[in-house]
Amino acid sequence: MAKSDDCIHILQGLLVFGNVVIGMCGIALTAECIYFVSNPHGLYPLLRATENGDINAAAWIGIFVGLALFALSILGIIGVIKASRTLLLVYIILMLITFAFEMASCITAATHRDSLTPEHFQKQMLDRYQKSDPANNNDSEVTKAWDELMLQNHCCGVKGPSDWQEYQSAFRLTHSDADYPWPRTCCVLDAQGLPASLDGCKLGVSGYYNSNGCYDAISGPVNTHAWGVAWFGFAILCWTFCVLLGTMFYWSGIEY
Amino acid sequence: QLDYRPALTTEPALGGVRTTSTFVVDQPRCVFQDYGNAVIWLVVALEQAASTFNNSQGPGTPETAFQGFPEPVRAYMTLNATLGSYPCPKPDGEIAVLRVGSETSCTGDVTRPTCNGPLPTPGPYRVKFLALEGSEPVAETRWSTPITLITAKPLSSISTAGRGHSADMIAITTILSILLAILLAGLVAMLFFWGSDSCGGSSTFSKPESVTVRRYNTHHVYDQPAARL
Repeated sequence: MAKSDDCIHILQGLLVFGNVVIGMCGIALTAECIYFVSNPHGLYPLLRATENGDINAAAWIGIFVGLALFALSILGIIGVIKASRTLLLVYIILMLITFAFEMASCITAATHRDSLTPEHFQKQMLDRYQKSDPANNNDSEVTKAWDELMLQNHCCGVKGPSDWQEYQSAFRLTHSDADYPWPRTCCVLDAQGLPASLDGCKLGVSGYYNSNGCYDAISGPVNTHAWGVAWFGFAILCWTFCVLLGTMFYWSGIEY
Repeated sequence: QLDYRPALTTEPALGGVRTTSTFVVDQPRCVFQDYGNAVIWLVVALEQAASTFNNSQGPGTPETAFQGFPEPVRAYMTLNATLGSYPCPKPDGEIAVLRVGSETSCTGDVTRPTCNGPLPTPGPYRVKFLALEGSEPVAETRWSTPITLITAKPLSSISTAGRGHSADMIAITTILSILLAILLAGLVAMLFFWGSDSCGGSSTFSKPESVTVRRYNTHHVYDQPAARL
């Protein structure tokens, strides 16, 4: 009897430890998702205007899942110590629901990250940047977002200024190629916001125009965001899986 | 005829050396040194019309007007300059180029037949420099190699089919699905065996109730008063 008592105590100890870790991870997940939602890199207007906001949705789900994990971990600790069948059953069912939500969030983040290829951005940028007849508000938002992105990161286009040459675009319909081989925002601007050398910019002299593409500036933060939500969530879920299995085992062993 | 062949600018590397309606060639520095009195013109011709170009056709005539290019005018003359505009030798650090197609204000203005307007088709084109004294051609360079401009592709040609799903996403989805399935199976097993104590039978344990031991005084033990005696 003493031996099985020890086993029970060890199992209880492990479960309490597991729940403590889940609680802390829940807080960490909430903090991380709040950081992403607060849009530190200013990319959210661009993503939202081009209907790519699902990565943000995954972060929002992450916030609530994190809080739920924290609350449920406390419930779990109480249930394990009191060895109450009801409490633990409630705990297990609510944890499964949270597991499902977090799983949805991870998969959403990972899937939408995959769809943000350079070609995807190219098509949207060329189609909507400086569209002269904005059918909806989104087009002017796209233009503003791209202008800000190009100014802040000193970049031009998605893969480079050649995007504007190689493909037809809404921009090209209103701006002649000879005067605007690429938008003025691609030029190196002086303090007043005017091109330092308009001829240099039009010719493409390095130093007077931004020759690198903006894709790196976009994909870096988006990757961090998506993988942060997806992989951290995945790790938490693996740990939760073990704790839940242990809890189920413990539950079935409680005398009722 | 001079031995110089005009060419697209390679030094310095220019991002806009060829666009959809303009191209950039080097200025003919140190080429027309012997012709200090001449006016140097740039002749832009369709590739097929290069061999049939007549040097005596004057600039600014309807036969060489930019506004008639490419039909019926098959070659036009523009960008006139005197030798003073092309000093020799070229100072270091100076970018000595000519951008063909940079003037957009005179494309339809027939009073400006020597307009350096944007090229209407992708080409291919050949260019050469021609020095005229008065209306008399005195020197010319060779024709350049054919220059073809960029053609803008339609947006539908950008394939957003994507590279499919990355390995990461597939791993996350499959593993999480398996874990969730196991947990659900565990939950079902747990509830199914609620009534019976089969699985956990050997390790059942009782709740840690607070055990109180009541003291039973079976024998009332009093302090015997000494009064018995």
